[in-house]
Amino acid sequence: MSESTKGEPILIADSIDVRFGDFQALSGFSMSVQPATIHALIGPNGAGKTTLFNALTGVRKPSGGRVVFNGHTVTHASAHRRVHYGMSRSFQVTSLFSALTVAENLRLAVQARHAAEGWVFWRGPARRRDISDEVDALLTETFLTGRADTRAGDLSHGGQRSLEIGMALAGRPKLIFLDEPLAGMGIDDVHRTKGLISSLSSRMAVLLIEHNMSVVLDISDRITVMAAGRKIAEDVPAKIRTDPAVRAAYLGSTA
Amino acid sequence: MQALERSPNLATAVVLATLIVLPFVVPATLASQIAIFATGALSVALLLGAVGLLSFGQGLYLGVGAYVCGILAKDAGMGLIPALLMATLAGAVLAGILGSVIVRRHGVYFVMLTLAFGQMGYFAVLAFKNVTGGENGLTGVPRQFDLLGLSIANPLAMYVFMAGAFFLVFLLVQRVIASPFGSVLAAIRENEPRSIALGYAVARYKTAAVALAGGIAGLAGGLHVVFLGFVPPSDIELEMSQRLLVIALIGGIGSPGGALLGSAFYTIVSEALSEIWPRWLALIALLLIGLVLFLPGGLWSAGRRISALFERKTAHE
Repeated sequence: MSESTKGEPILIADSIDVRFGDFQALSGFSMSVQPATIHALIGPNGAGKTTLFNALTGVRKPSGGRVVFNGHTVTHASAHRRVHYGMSRSFQVTSLFSALTVAENLRLAVQARHAAEGWVFWRGPARRRDISDEVDALLTETFLTGRADTRAGDLSHGGQRSLEIGMALAGRPKLIFLDEPLAGMGIDDVHRTKGLISSLSSRMAVLLIEHNMSVVLDISDRITVMAAGRKIAEDVPAKIRTDPAVRAAYLGSTA
Repeated sequence: MQALERSPNLATAVVLATLIVLPFVVPATLASQIAIFATGALSVALLLGAVGLLSFGQGLYLGVGAYVCGILAKDAGMGLIPALLMATLAGAVLAGILGSVIVRRHGVYFVMLTLAFGQMGYFAVLAFKNVTGGENGLTGVPRQFDLLGLSIANPLAMYVFMAGAFFLVFLLVQRVIASPFGSVLAAIRENEPRSIALGYAVARYKTAAVALAGGIAGLAGGLHVVFLGFVPPSDIELEMSQRLLVIALIGGIGSPGGALLGSAFYTIVSEALSEIWPRWLALIALLLIGLVLFLPGGLWSAGRRISALFERKTAHE
């Protein structure tokens, strides 16, 4: 939890460039994430936070730079390949299988980790007790046990955000990317989900984009501040809170 | 409410009952055609219903299966089952190869590619006239086949064989849809980016589904040749792709059972109409428009609505 746990970083982003046509969304962006920590990424809208997520998770390949994950260079690895290295993400705009039940959403997410299971065509999915046990555990962890048979599209907004996190957790990642997990949640859901996120760092590293500053300052081990595609500061929460450059660029204007 | 889709056993019973009743209602030769085109339509229904992929070119694989079966039975003297297996394999291999290219495109571009490849088959048949017989088709395919010592000589025996083949494919498709593999296909249909983010190699799954559907279409082509005793070039024309798609849509893609209802409807109606009016296809088009507007789930969903009504009634009692 403290800054002294400096080992080999789980993720190294080295001078990442991403451009959309003429627009340079990220320029020479570098950062690293330590294992078993919560690392928050903050910055005003349009700073390039989600673009950085997309570049790191393989959704959009960077035009320059290098991504090293857990010792593997994954700069050009496909998005689904990175999942098997131990990266997993939730989406800023909820992205679920709306027509399927909550339990089936989670089962598909767990099944994805058992690579061979998805190719089984001669029997039903029910045979795998280990997978359904894992689904039950995830339902409990994301407070969705009572909603297992609800269609994901019929869940409340908070419920859908929880399921979003649950599906990312199902991959048993070494690093989980959470893109605004608290966005639009009610006060009770925020409190519960905050507890869930801070409990994760015992099992994995968390890279978090979040606008709720009180939560970010409270649970993060380290905070990187972005503005206009660049890193303007990186430190522990106590230092970030008082950093004049950060206050000018971000905290001062919105919080 | 969705009893027919939830319960594969009920769907199987409906399909089995239809297959048994069919030869008593229509001539056996017509019943055979129904079973053959139902098999072909299953390949469309599998792609569209399970994965959400619209193929306008399944006729290519049906045609390739037909020619492979015809050529092997005629020139290599191959027996019934081996020739049909080779037709299936040919459809699957070709679809797997073309599919690995096609699945990388989405939406309209995917459909256009299936259409473009579908077009190429007919020209290939014309180009290799000495093997395929060109516009005249491939004639002289043996009409006498034995199956486990039993000869398939009369129309009813032929129908029993065709119906059995369709039923096996139907069971396979139903099994696949309800399997973990089928659940991945459903995930891709529902939300492809999320499926990738979960770690599924989406392109590979789609290619496998396209190959499976190609194999089914290839088998249907082989069955058609066994039934006709020759290979008509119309089997590989674009009109065949169109027909399979229309049958699948009339029947409804929500369940593999829809393919049989769609094929029975299309085959019987076109037979009846063609005797009245040579431009009967125009009427089929009108029917299709009516169906899309008023019964978007196809004939199979009509059965589902009736069973839903029935369930509501019994629930009230």
